[in-house]
Amino acid sequence: MIENTENMTFEESLKALEQLVNELESGNSDLDKALEIYEQAMLLRDRCKKILDDCDRRVQKMIETSEGIKKEDFTAE
Amino acid sequence: MADTVTVTQLNTRVKSVLSECSAVNDIWVIGELSNLKKYPSGHYYFTLKDSTSEIRGVMFRQSRGRIDFEPQDNMKVTVFGKADLYVERGSYQFIAETMQRSGVGDLYLAYEALKKKLESEGLFERSRKRKLPQYPRVIGVVTSSSGAVIHDIITTSGRLFPADILLYPAKVQGEGAAESIVRGIHALNREGVDVLIVGRGGGSIEDLWAFNEEMVARAIAASEAPVISAVGHETDFTIADLVADVRAPTPTGAAELALRDRRELARHIDTHVLRVNRSLSGILKTMHYRFGMLESKLDPKYADQKISRYSMRLDELGFRMNSALRSTAETVRRRFIKMDSNLDAYVPRMIDNGRKDLLRYSERLENINPVRVLDRGYTLITDMNGKALTSAGQISAGSEINIILKDGNAEAQITRAEMRK
Repeated sequence: MIENTENMTFEESLKALEQLVNELESGNSDLDKALEIYEQAMLLRDRCKKILDDCDRRVQKMIETSEGIKKEDFTAE
Repeated sequence: MADTVTVTQLNTRVKSVLSECSAVNDIWVIGELSNLKKYPSGHYYFTLKDSTSEIRGVMFRQSRGRIDFEPQDNMKVTVFGKADLYVERGSYQFIAETMQRSGVGDLYLAYEALKKKLESEGLFERSRKRKLPQYPRVIGVVTSSSGAVIHDIITTSGRLFPADILLYPAKVQGEGAAESIVRGIHALNREGVDVLIVGRGGGSIEDLWAFNEEMVARAIAASEAPVISAVGHETDFTIADLVADVRAPTPTGAAELALRDRRELARHIDTHVLRVNRSLSGILKTMHYRFGMLESKLDPKYADQKISRYSMRLDELGFRMNSALRSTAETVRRRFIKMDSNLDAYVPRMIDNGRKDLLRYSERLENINPVRVLDRGYTLITDMNGKALTSAGQISAGSEINIILKDGNAEAQITRAEMRK
């Protein structure tokens, strides 16, 4: 039972979603269980979409300095 | 007495001295091209130099057809022709009649030798190729920070699965390039990137040479993160491409191999949600149906209808049982005629199946045996001759009836009977 999807990676969320779909499609769930699966599936869907819509990815460049490796933001010309 | 000549005469004399001297005619000269200019007239002008000296050179349009490559600056060449003087300027130059690339043969030999060596070590084996991670968080890129490669990767990845990009700005050609690329592969692995792209844009075999060096090949092979190579054009095949887990035809292709399409993933998720919805509504429909059934079962209004339905089903089941047995027997007979092989095994099985059918039908019959129904509080009404009464039309006031209960009988007289409207 997943309560917080906040820290789940895309891969974990998608895998969990696939498992729920399979469980539901196996037809062994009673109504309560089915509704619970449905709610979980919606949570996981939201998590996946949030990761996909994330525009906050970083593009950085490594720089070797005397104190070791540093990183700074990079924009291609 | 000393000659007195004009400038033109002097230049003309030197020109003829040069043209008569076999030491500077029809010779091969080794050097490196620079300041190469290709004129609209079709002539090539260039400087040919070595570490200490240089000479201007020209190759006329009509000679150009003799060379099978595109001359470029920094290319090592061997040029055939003669030394000459350009009279109008008094400048000394070399007139090239043909040109060959030098050193290239050596490079090909080195390439083939290394390829053979690494191949025998199994470094190109398909079984060594690792699968790329499906959803990487960070992609490491080893390439020049100014080339088209990093630009294309950043641009393309915008429409792909969102991942961070970490660039190691490497020297990708010339002295120290191989070392720089190796350092980049190591540094990005230490950063824990999920996948690596190693590459550069197109160029001559010399330009791409770092990617044919053994140390680069070994660094790629030893990389913890899977490596995508994107070196040169699609037609260039470097050792790095052979060792890499996947070879991309272009930098854009490399980004597409590393990251899955964002919209395609969104569609994939939607499909899952659709399946959940479909299953759930299926379950709800079943629930409705079962609830409806339960409701009708509980309603006393339907109780008598049910009894007659039971008796009808009794008849029907009896009939079906008979015909099932008959058709089983018929099937067995037909099979018997048709195939006498396998019969020994077949007939007993058919008989067994028939027996099982019979058993199953008997069980079902048992379930709807009226006596069982009596267990549940229903009664059976017959006339005094034991004929079942199912219709109000069969009785009237004063009729005597027999009521069969679960555990006994009772006789009664009808006081009133009427058909239900």
